[in-house]
Amino acid sequence: MPAVRSREISSAEFYKLRGEVKTVRPLAEGIFDALTSALTTPLTPQESSLEQDKKGGDDTPAEITVKAESYRVALEDFNQLYLDNRWGDGLPLIPPTPDAVKWMLSGTSRNPYEVLGTINPKHGIATIEKIAINAVMAGAKPEYLPVIIAAMEALADETFDDLHFLASAGSFNLLVVVSGPIAEEIGMEAGIGFMGHGWRANNTIGRAIRLATLNIGQTWPGINDMALTGRISPHTFITFSENTELSPWQPYHASRGFKADDSCVTVSPTHGESQLNHFYGGMIGTWTALGVLDRMVEDIVRTDRRGLFMWGTKGIGKYPGSGGGALNHLIVLFPELAAEFKKMGYDQPKLQDEIYQRTTIPYDEMNHAERKAIQTAMELGVIPADRKAVFQAALNPGAKVPVLISPENLHLFVAGGVPGCAFSFNYYRVPPYNQTSLITRLITGATLTKAGTTGVKSVPYGA
Amino acid sequence: MAGTVKLEKLGKPGVFINCDTFDDDAKSAAADNGMPTVRRRIVKSSEFYKLRGTVKDVRPLVEKVFDDIIAALTVPLTPAEANPPGAKQADDGPTEITVTGESFPEAIEELNTQFLEKHWSDGLPLVPPTPERVRWMLAGTARAPHEVIGRVNPKQGLATIEKIAINAVMAGAKPEYLPVIIAAMEALTDEYYDDLHILVSAGSFSLIIVVGGPIADEINMNSGIGFLGHGWRANNTVGRAVRLSTLNIGKMWPGANDMGLTGRVSPHTFYTFAENARQSPWPPYHASRGFKATDSTVTVATIGGSSPMQNFYGGMIGTWTAQGVLDNMVNDIIRTDRGLFGLWGAKGVGQYPGSGVGARSHLIVLFPELAEELKKMGFDQTSLQDEIYKRTCVRYEELSPADRRGIQTGIETGVVPAERKAVFQEALKPGGMVPVLITPENLHFFVAGGAPGCAFSFSYFRLPPYNRIAILTKLVTGATLTKAGSIE
Amino acid sequence: MRKKSVELTVLNPRGMVEAKSAFAPNPRVKDLAGKRVGLYSNGKPGMDNFYTVFEELLKKKYPTVTVKVLTGSFEITDKDAKDWSPQIDTFVYAVGD
Repeated sequence: MPAVRSREISSAEFYKLRGEVKTVRPLAEGIFDALTSALTTPLTPQESSLEQDKKGGDDTPAEITVKAESYRVALEDFNQLYLDNRWGDGLPLIPPTPDAVKWMLSGTSRNPYEVLGTINPKHGIATIEKIAINAVMAGAKPEYLPVIIAAMEALADETFDDLHFLASAGSFNLLVVVSGPIAEEIGMEAGIGFMGHGWRANNTIGRAIRLATLNIGQTWPGINDMALTGRISPHTFITFSENTELSPWQPYHASRGFKADDSCVTVSPTHGESQLNHFYGGMIGTWTALGVLDRMVEDIVRTDRRGLFMWGTKGIGKYPGSGGGALNHLIVLFPELAAEFKKMGYDQPKLQDEIYQRTTIPYDEMNHAERKAIQTAMELGVIPADRKAVFQAALNPGAKVPVLISPENLHLFVAGGVPGCAFSFNYYRVPPYNQTSLITRLITGATLTKAGTTGVKSVPYGA
Repeated sequence: MAGTVKLEKLGKPGVFINCDTFDDDAKSAAADNGMPTVRRRIVKSSEFYKLRGTVKDVRPLVEKVFDDIIAALTVPLTPAEANPPGAKQADDGPTEITVTGESFPEAIEELNTQFLEKHWSDGLPLVPPTPERVRWMLAGTARAPHEVIGRVNPKQGLATIEKIAINAVMAGAKPEYLPVIIAAMEALTDEYYDDLHILVSAGSFSLIIVVGGPIADEINMNSGIGFLGHGWRANNTVGRAVRLSTLNIGKMWPGANDMGLTGRVSPHTFYTFAENARQSPWPPYHASRGFKATDSTVTVATIGGSSPMQNFYGGMIGTWTAQGVLDNMVNDIIRTDRGLFGLWGAKGVGQYPGSGVGARSHLIVLFPELAEELKKMGFDQTSLQDEIYKRTCVRYEELSPADRRGIQTGIETGVVPAERKAVFQEALKPGGMVPVLITPENLHFFVAGGAPGCAFSFSYFRLPPYNRIAILTKLVTGATLTKAGSIE
Repeated sequence: MRKKSVELTVLNPRGMVEAKSAFAPNPRVKDLAGKRVGLYSNGKPGMDNFYTVFEELLKKKYPTVTVKVLTGSFEITDKDAKDWSPQIDTFVYAVGD
């Protein structure tokens, strides 16, 4: 509804004055007449007769040509042009020539015109081809494309909340974890320095997702991507793979209903503040698995307790508890730590249970608002039916109340080298604007690797 | 490794023992320290870290390597060991590299692949540093291409204006950014700046690179909404040029001799941004460092790798007051620093007492509206430092004996500088208030962000491990394409 | 083999490292009997335990050996090195990693 009536207030004034009726009064008085006029003045002919936007909106031609006296100058002009158009991310792009895109598409057997879904905020249509174009720009190789596609499928899923992390003021980030045999086949790094620079696969897969969301969702910082400070790792998100070689456990995706030897991508947004909760291990001092576990538990209790009083909120969006207090924790364990846990008798589900049992607060120490919030959360269905009994029992003197809704809200990934460090991210369990905040997706249609080849039949555009 | 070589040079034969994960690192360090054939022995990482906790656990490991270590101490040197080749002057190959392809895009793909294989790239696409592009880049500075501005650890490679320009082209920068990139490299290669720790430590430490003064606007740096993020060619490529320059001139590679265990966040660009001069009610940061307000400068500072940002909010998360944000800051500093008193007296990781341990510096980013509110409350940067310093004091009675001993030792060894002794001696008495900060000047304020904005901070050791300083401001000079930064 | 049609020539981005004269390590002691063996660590956890066992094994194998343990900085300070080296004939150096 491009002609919907809107009126503006100065940011600088609103955020400062909104705290009290007294302080905001002059601001409201200042805009009062403009608002009432917008409500009562008849629509202009221009406002009421709006031309239907043609399907696929954008006036941009399908191909853009850049001319210069040498290729090197043309490359510079291309980069500046794309940045001026808000199609780049600030770092040098590889020109997505028709040949390069064809090269990139050779990495998948899927139809270029297949539609995966739409990306917020503009509900742009994500096709395999558009993703391939952005993957070329990112500097990726064709064998990475199936991984990038799987991640985009997750983001475009109609139940996944991509809007929040792409546009919110809180500078939320995105965790992208590849698991299964494809990681090694395409040369992903899961050892020392795995979250950092120097790894073409890790870095360009993340960058392709950044560029694809930027261009397909059509989002720009300060315009409709309101991340106030900007994200850390802004060009690549947080992209890495599980260390299958050194992990003593099943891959993460085995806990999500996939076969251990499948190859998958898991995506989840992460909170903007204090993004990395660091539990050490590694070299900082001698460590024991129990010591690291204690730090994890202490961190989870401290962080999640702060949100307890919000469990009872209806939710920002239409799902109960959306954008509310309860969290998912995305925990990265280094291989030696996982090996120690395994020796102590833990597999992933048992460790989830252990952490869940420890991350409790005594009922007697909770305040009234917190107790009420949990009660309301049960009534509203924020606490799912199958968890109600647990919380009903906990809401009694002498009992312990979990700060997590379910042990499954602890997601354990094994990554890193020797020595290594454990750390975690967290995010809403139910996101603000949609149903789910974490999806694991099978990688399919790969042509250049042994892994990731089992496939979904391709679906032509418009079918 | 340096210590081993030092003892050898004093005439004593010895052996350096390390874990196998650090073997490449040790070999590299041996060469860096001028003794490539120093005797080294390896212990398995997977065993050492696990078993070192008690004498009983570690015994079988020691028994296993014992004979090997004795052999290192007693078996005569081989001719090769006794005659090590002198380290040649090396910059890893010819001055020019030629790649071929059926088309330019193919040649560029070939270049990117080769450079990454050689460990000359950061994983993202590079702009080819052709002679013509490097000349284009060098047009941004009046300084001579062969001027040496310093050395970069760990290999002590020579940072020349030309080498920096080559890496700046690769990063995707523009010529008008070059003087800023050069100033950042001048700070890092300053003889007293500890670049070694941030570049190679296991803790994945990082850098903030803050541009202050009129040049920021002239080269279109973003200092408003999203200023730390993507989409800003100047912010992003200045940071990337520093990353590539240090990687290629200092010659480090993750897992080989850059031992950052997890890797850094924002690994390709560090945290590179500009102060928001237009909306800041205060003089720029560099005015507090002896520069004129109208100067253009770059401040480089090392920051912690884990949980790099402490977020104090403001902005849109809820209604905020300057007092509330100030309270958050104060509580956070007390929380992180209060437990460090016991380490104030620690010997130190490196040459200087207290190096790499103990008291901290805090680098705090305030958004413009917050700075406005603080100014309205009567604060300038100096009085704000004093305010936070006073409020982050802990009552003497709450200190443990270990805390008191730590501070006392710190006073004796000079970790607490002479001019602060009296303050702490006074505080270490019943009824005294003991600061967690050694001096108010360990609080550094930068004004950046848009409206609305968020306040957040980074922190690091006040004294770095391997050199004297970990925060430095340099003047931008030699600019040819901007009015600012043009004085020599 | 068709000649590739495009040549891309770029400049070397690596820093020049100055030639350093390389020093040879000192000749070894013949054996450890009667010698003063220094054990240096930077205090990182675990080296104390490692050296406790090591010292025990040394004394068992070489009953006349003297062991001097020094815990110092990551890089032994000039002062420590000057004070310690006259007290030892040979040494083991570790930084706990």
